[in-house]
Amino acid sequence: MKNQLKVLRAMRNWSQADLGEHLDVSRQAVNAIETGKYDPSLPLAFKISRLFELPIEEIFDDEFSGEHHG
Amino acid sequence: MTNLAESIMVDVNEKTGRNARSSLWMALSGIGIVMLLGAIAGYLSEHDSQGGGPLGATGIAVLGVFAAIIGALIFAIWKMFLQLQRSGERVPRREKLNNRILLGCGLLGGTIGLVLAATDNLGAEEAGLFASGPIAPVLAVILSIAIGVVMPLVTFYWHRNVIDEQEEAAYRAGALFAIYAFWFIAPVWWLLWRGGMLPAPNGVALYLMTTCVALIVWFWKKYR
Repeated sequence: MKNQLKVLRAMRNWSQADLGEHLDVSRQAVNAIETGKYDPSLPLAFKISRLFELPIEEIFDDEFSGEHHG
Repeated sequence: MTNLAESIMVDVNEKTGRNARSSLWMALSGIGIVMLLGAIAGYLSEHDSQGGGPLGATGIAVLGVFAAIIGALIFAIWKMFLQLQRSGERVPRREKLNNRILLGCGLLGGTIGLVLAATDNLGAEEAGLFASGPIAPVLAVILSIAIGVVMPLVTFYWHRNVIDEQEEAAYRAGALFAIYAFWFIAPVWWLLWRGGMLPAPNGVALYLMTTCVALIVWFWKKYR
């Protein structure tokens, strides 16, 4: 899933290790999320959302077109 | 994205990438040292089993090369450790704990391996991973406690307190691939044995194959 984590981290001048420390995850986890290779769980997504004080949908983009059925 | 953010991101990512590579090389160097120590112990043990006595020029040269490589690896680890310290990058709590437990397990495993090599497997008739000959009861009890009691406790603590959800997912993927590998490889081997094309299925070989699949998938999922 595409996301803004890398940009948000860079704007705070944080390394992946710094962000990992804030979220209590490893640098590999931060890197995997940033590169879209791993989608975080809901609890971790909320943690990220609270850390950057942004709604989840402004950080993560599921590329949903917006069309609803039913 | 601002230019400032872009430039900071490049700096931060380059530093993180360098440190990650250094950490990986330090771990690989550590494994190399343990393997070389095992090779030295095995060489000396073989020398003893052939009558012992003073080492010849070839023996001294072989051990000298091993010792030189170990010295070079220790020096390289020390230099990389200093570089990591100078970079000032923090290591997340989980990674520190992770590294300490891995180091502890590596030292314990290395020590057990060295003791076994130095004592000729505590009198085992047949050594090696695929051996199924009798071993000394003391050795059987020590290894069974290590694998059946100590390792499960460490593993429980490892999954509860050390690894994060991304690594947990990597373990789950590894376990899934491993169980399917076992489900497919074991009956194929059994059928080919019944058809007279392979030796009888070997439990240890199946165990090692399954473990290898789990570790390869885990590594790929965690570090790709």
